[in-house]
Amino acid sequence: MKKWNRSAKAALALAASAGLVFGAMSPASAATRTSVVIVESNSFTSLNPNTSGQNLVMNTDIAYMTSMGFYYYNNEPSIIPNTSFGSYKVISQKPFKVQYKVNKGIVWSDGTPIDGVDLLLSHVISSSAYSIAAGLGDPADTKAPAAFDSLGYNGTYDQNIVGEPVLTSDRMGVTVTYKAAIPDWVLSSPGAFPVHTLVELAAGEKKLGSGPHNLAAKNKFLTAFKTKDTKTLKAMGKIWSSAYNIDAVDAKTNPLLLVNNGAYLVSSAVKAQRVTLTLNPKYNSGPKTHGIEKIILNTISDGTAAVQALANHEVDVYAGQATADGLAALNKISGIQVINALSATWEGVYLRSGDGPGETDHYTGVFANGSTAASKAQATDIRRAFLMAFPRDEIVEKVWKPLSAKSGPMDSINYFSTFPNYKKMVANNGSSRYTAGTQASRTTDALKLVQKYYPTTSASAPNVKIKILWGSPSNARRISEAAIIKAGLAKAGFDADLTPEVKWVSLLPSNKYDAYFCGNGLSGVFQAGLTGGWNSGADQYSGYNNPAVDAAVKKLQATVLTDDEIYAQYLIVEKNVYDDAMSVNITQWPAVTAVSQDLKGIDPSPILPETVWNFWEWHY
Amino acid sequence: MITYIFRRLGTLVVILLGSSFILFNLAAISNDPIGELRLSRAPNAKELILVTTRELRLDLPPPLRYFMWLKNVLGTLVGHGNLGVTRTHESVASALGAAIPTTLRLVSAATFIAIILGITIGIVTALRQYSQFDYIMTFIAFLLFSLPIFWVAVLLKQFLAIQFNNFLGDPKITPFWLSGIGLVSGFLWASIIGGTRKRFWSVFVGVGIASAAIIVTIVKSHWLMNPGLGPFGIAIFGVGIAFGITHLSVGLSDKKALKASLFMVVIGLIAYYPSQIAFRNDHKAIIFPFMVLLTFLVAIGATFIFSKIDRGPLFRTTLLTAITISAVTILDKLMHTWKPYFESDAINGRPVPTIGQSNSLLEPGNYWLTTLDILMHLVLPTMALTAISFAGYIRYSRGTLLEVLNQDYIRTARAKGLTERTVIMRHAFRNTLIPLTTIIVVDIASIVGGAIITEHVFGWNGMGTLFNNALNNFDLNLLMGVFLVTASLAVLANLVADLLYSALDPRIRVGSQ
Repeated sequence: MKKWNRSAKAALALAASAGLVFGAMSPASAATRTSVVIVESNSFTSLNPNTSGQNLVMNTDIAYMTSMGFYYYNNEPSIIPNTSFGSYKVISQKPFKVQYKVNKGIVWSDGTPIDGVDLLLSHVISSSAYSIAAGLGDPADTKAPAAFDSLGYNGTYDQNIVGEPVLTSDRMGVTVTYKAAIPDWVLSSPGAFPVHTLVELAAGEKKLGSGPHNLAAKNKFLTAFKTKDTKTLKAMGKIWSSAYNIDAVDAKTNPLLLVNNGAYLVSSAVKAQRVTLTLNPKYNSGPKTHGIEKIILNTISDGTAAVQALANHEVDVYAGQATADGLAALNKISGIQVINALSATWEGVYLRSGDGPGETDHYTGVFANGSTAASKAQATDIRRAFLMAFPRDEIVEKVWKPLSAKSGPMDSINYFSTFPNYKKMVANNGSSRYTAGTQASRTTDALKLVQKYYPTTSASAPNVKIKILWGSPSNARRISEAAIIKAGLAKAGFDADLTPEVKWVSLLPSNKYDAYFCGNGLSGVFQAGLTGGWNSGADQYSGYNNPAVDAAVKKLQATVLTDDEIYAQYLIVEKNVYDDAMSVNITQWPAVTAVSQDLKGIDPSPILPETVWNFWEWHY
Repeated sequence: MITYIFRRLGTLVVILLGSSFILFNLAAISNDPIGELRLSRAPNAKELILVTTRELRLDLPPPLRYFMWLKNVLGTLVGHGNLGVTRTHESVASALGAAIPTTLRLVSAATFIAIILGITIGIVTALRQYSQFDYIMTFIAFLLFSLPIFWVAVLLKQFLAIQFNNFLGDPKITPFWLSGIGLVSGFLWASIIGGTRKRFWSVFVGVGIASAAIIVTIVKSHWLMNPGLGPFGIAIFGVGIAFGITHLSVGLSDKKALKASLFMVVIGLIAYYPSQIAFRNDHKAIIFPFMVLLTFLVAIGATFIFSKIDRGPLFRTTLLTAITISAVTILDKLMHTWKPYFESDAINGRPVPTIGQSNSLLEPGNYWLTTLDILMHLVLPTMALTAISFAGYIRYSRGTLLEVLNQDYIRTARAKGLTERTVIMRHAFRNTLIPLTTIIVVDIASIVGGAIITEHVFGWNGMGTLFNNALNNFDLNLLMGVFLVTASLAVLANLVADLLYSALDPRIRVGSQ
């Protein structure tokens, strides 16, 4: 009896202390959050966004956070070398050779060291020549995709690579030879891929391999790469192109698919709902993280729903296109910070002066240069009048300012207001022709210019007919812009037809239209990335043809230039485009990011991957 | 009869072929999948255009692509075809397989609640024709019928999720709200019960004060934070349920049935403690079917004990009571899960969600937390869907019941001296259900089609979202997959409705020449 009593007391004491421990634990863990929930507008479909059909924002965001390479973009945006991962340097100018090396000691999440062999797969998925030579199929075939169904073919790397990358003697890197000194060789740096897992997956394995086993698998790939072993590579290609296309991750998922070198790894995914990323304990390939253990990407496609979820503290980060209603709703929510910024998407108007490449019909409208010097001078005057009368300020004031106080007119063809040389560019590029004075005075001048050639037209009875392509009737913002444009142009004697078209993008090559206005997006910062196709022969619909611009673009595309030289070439492009009255830009689109008050370190970038670019700096 | 069914199935095939051809071609010419890429400044834009053209066979005209799709689909009949793949390389069949359960989960609860609530209110309004309650419900029905669901959803989220969660953070109820709730509930019940002016006002005052008192008690006792019924609560509920079900099913004059029902309540109370242990068990998949079986057996047993003849109606009554008591016991368990759920890190004191199908942070593993989480995520969408769809049922059932009540056989039944309960429940209500059946069958079939807007605003990815995405992303295989499922079900449901109608109403015969 006594004995029973004692043990009962002991049990009671144990239970009480357990209760105390639990009682003390639960509030403490609630105080410091370690997870971030972000909103994504589409669903997760693949761990490999470089294959066809999978290049979606959520997939690329996940790939960005789960893998690291030689560089990343910051939010200026400019290229930042990732020195924790590796380094690159030019080792010979002629022939132009670049050595890309990964650091010793960095590892994949399964503990396998990363080395130069992991950089070789990048060549297989980017070089058409290698794909053909290794019997993997021609990527340009219009009937069937190559064994590696990659979106990387036919890019800068593919067009400039000579031969194959050569493994350095210490196996820690590769040396790549390019045809000539190409400007953006950093961007062509090979990405690392855990090739040993690919070999193991191709062999049907379902468990993480041991160290020696992984090394053997890696060497198997190296041999296959060197000997162009079609059978082995094809099996790997099949895995690379399809096995990573999964939309759910759980305990049954093959762990080999999840091996990567990023700060976070995919730990679970619920189909069409969310993906959970968890800190990679072996991560040493990039900047240090700051205490966030889990990042959850939630699929919410409706903007209003996302804002309400933010208000209900169900999500922590929401980035979206700014709308007046959405912004008002966000500003009312307590406990969040709203970050207003300008995105790398901008809106501009583009005029037509002739036929674009590959167009079969001829453009004969009022802006057509024609074949004589006199007709060209007349067309240029009419285009100038159009751009002078184009009510840019009013559009910015009425349509864009309500969305963001930061919105303002964009006075350069290529440069954003955040670029260091923006002011210098605006002062010298000749945009002042379309910005000097007031809109009223410019419109008066424009009308005079038009009346020189079309004396019967007037502000009260405009009769110079032009047709402008601009978008679909469902786009409310464009509709208000179109109304402002029609009224503004009428004052300069233009009778503008602004009928909306649902399939407007397909009509861009059509010569029935004299002008179009639309949004443009910048996908990355590369030396010639801003020229916007003003060179003749590029994919453009304006029919613009100016030898000075062609020469400048060619220089930007083909030679390595200093910052000043790059500016000088862009200045040539802008001066000519403005002087020939081919285009003015309206404004950069505002972007809005709303973040839970406690979460620190979010500083969105204008280009992809926008909000998540500095995920390692986030903390509570 | 059989020739009739075959003839109808034949027309189904023709309808599906024709409409799929039209839909495919309309969708194919409605959009330009490489349009966006034409404006792209990405360095690999050309590659993207090439790949898209190759994958979608844009080099071929749409009708030709339709027949390629059709050949592939018809291949399923001989065992080597499929519904194709989506643009993200997922098989359409698996996309549909994942979306249909999601949609069923979202829409079925709302549909059944709408049907039951709509018919109930419809019948009450018909019985209290031209009363205040009738006018009010008619007004509310038309009001809800005309509301756009995306707006209803936004309001529900604002008031019932965001603000209610804020309220839970500091639950204090102001006199304004208290008097408001008292007035509204008093008025509602007074109008339903009806009667003389004196009776109206006494019900109004009584119910008003009672509901205000209940609200105050709930808030003051922190019942909102730590709810539960306990055996005592279940006993009170159970007795009420036993009386209610017996009244509607066989009438309170049937003492045997009443005793049997009350016996079921006692059994339910005795089973309360064992079931708490069973709920703690981890093998829910085995335990639950066992418990359902037990419920049935007990109901059958009670029927045998309490009655020797005419066991059908008695069995119906005991079974309904048993099921309801079980439901209340499960509800009690969920209520007891509320506190741990509310205090978990994932919920962090904000239990009513606005979006999604489950909480992003809640760790899986605890059956009851997960179940409660799923139910909480169903609350708002179900309310929104029910609100806009039950109005139709009110109008249908009210109209039909009024028409039936004017029939000669109702007068005959009354003349026979049958009780009002028997006249309404056995003679009028059953005949009201015949035309309603056809509407309900078609509505249930259309559940699978999903609710595009509801799914969108509540972040559910069911059939509606699939259809929407397929249209926006130019995913023709997916679009046709969704179409095949919904169109076949719609046509089949019409056939089933016709057959049911003839089965229920002997005056109608299908296929007779």
